[in-house]
Amino acid sequence: MSSLRFARAALRARPSAFAAPFQRRGYAEAVSDKLKLSLVLPHQTIFQSTGVVQVNIPAESGEMGVLANHVPSIEQLKPGLVEVIEESGANKKFFLSGGFAVVQPNSQLSVNAVEGFPLEDFSPDAVRSQIAEAQKIAGGNGSEQDIAEAKIELEVLETLQAVLK
Amino acid sequence: MVAAWKSAGLTYNRYLAVAAQAVRRSLKDGPRVAAERRGVMELRFAKWENGKQGESKALGQANVEAMASNAGSK
Repeated sequence: MSSLRFARAALRARPSAFAAPFQRRGYAEAVSDKLKLSLVLPHQTIFQSTGVVQVNIPAESGEMGVLANHVPSIEQLKPGLVEVIEESGANKKFFLSGGFAVVQPNSQLSVNAVEGFPLEDFSPDAVRSQIAEAQKIAGGNGSEQDIAEAKIELEVLETLQAVLK
Repeated sequence: MVAAWKSAGLTYNRYLAVAAQAVRRSLKDGPRVAAERRGVMELRFAKWENGKQGESKALGQANVEAMASNAGSK
């Protein structure tokens, strides 16, 4: 008889257990669907583990877009445009001079570069005059190293010019 | 495929420095002045042998010479 009463009490207790606030941590809460971006330069931190939706990076192996739960990888970056799509839907653009992007297993993305600035900091006139100068050196008869350096500059400046348009 | 700068003997470090310099020079005047000071390097070094200081050289110049001697060897 007492066992029956027990069972009844349990039956009655059950609905209240469901009504109680949900306190277990499920997969959906434990695993964030946000990408945590760290965008750092030697002299400045632009993003520090900030939750964002998507980051587009110019990898040496091709342009790639990184979302949350991306497969871990290490990518060498070409000088180029990095686009950050924030949770508010805002779209921030930076031009980086080249470095590395590391996608870590827990939806963390670290982007390291030597120099990086928002696009509005660039002057199209300065880019144009530098292209003319670099083309002169690249086509001239300087040392092999000077020509190689001028070609690196041209690569950077032409990408920058295309992005600024 | 080997990048052109690599076959000219340039190091990846030098490649990054040149690219960064081009980016800094493309800035508008305000941020450019603040940024360009970061590209300046004036390190000098000397090799000591038998307790005597050898010739003091600028690191930048020594790097250029090392890269020139590396060219074509890769």
